Amino acid sequence: MTADPGNHDRRIAALAALAIGLQVIEAAIPSPVPGIKPGLANVITLVALVTLGWRAAIAVTLLRVVGASLLLGTLLSPGFWLSLAGALAALSILAPLWRLYPHHLSALGLAVAAALAHTLGQFLLAWALIIPHPQLPLLLPPLLLAALIAGAVTGILTNSVLSDPRIQRHVRNPSTTGTG
Amino acid sequence: MHGLRWGDALVVTLALALVGSAFGLVYTPAGGATELVVTQAGAAPRHFPLNEPRTIGIEGTAGVTTIRIEPGRARCLHSPGSQNICERAGWLERPGDMAVSLPNRLVLQVRGPGTDFDSMHF
Repeated sequence: MTADPGNHDRRIAALAALAIGLQVIEAAIPSPVPGIKPGLANVITLVALVTLGWRAAIAVTLLRVVGASLLLGTLLSPGFWLSLAGALAALSILAPLWRLYPHHLSALGLAVAAALAHTLGQFLLAWALIIPHPQLPLLLPPLLLAALIAGAVTGILTNSVLSDPRIQRHVRNPSTTGTG
Repeated sequence: MHGLRWGDALVVTLALALVGSAFGLVYTPAGGATELVVTQAGAAPRHFPLNEPRTIGIEGTAGVTTIRIEPGRARCLHSPGSQNICERAGWLERPGDMAVSLPNRLVLQVRGPGTDFDSMHF
């Protein structure tokens, strides 16, 4: 069932490289509001999740967070911790949800849930540690709305990526495989 | 749109509910401010409870800053500043809201029951 480990690792590395590239490109796009961006790397996390499994998704995500922060020069800065908190929050909501793919849930549902969890995780870290200002919750509703829209867009993108036959033959059927 | 499942509708509905309730919870007028703290350069901070309507005047180096206090809120009515920055801060009603009169070297801030940070910078 499992491919040879070298091949598996190469796929993880390739997906992580794609995710890092997307995140760096996104960081170059000026945004009117800090904290609002499309989150295109979300697509790669989901592709890794449904093609390579749960552990691969964690690996790709952590490689992306560390790799992109190295390129952007934000390693261990507040931005890095926010990125990591968002990524971990998104992964933790994907943990229970991804087994519903593809029978009960498509990548759209996964992406929306992950995007909201990402924003909530970031916000909680920001509020608890980085900017503990009593007025900070005023920012949360617009950020959540932006996350919902961004999650829907990346989810639709992920669905179309996953429907490509070259990707489709790698997609796992969670009901027949064990742990990832 | 092909490939969608019933779970997607559920997730999106829950997400919309979450976003909607976040807007509702955060943007409803909360109040919660219980006292006004007047901090003036060279003087100990003075505390005024926000319980009954009254108008107070604070003497400063440039003149008198007139403050209107009402239950749960306070505002700067008049201040010697030429740009009316203190007045334009409007009603201070959420804990942490503040108005500043630089000519009078005066900071007005309303506070709630808990102790909160003003801000932190890195």
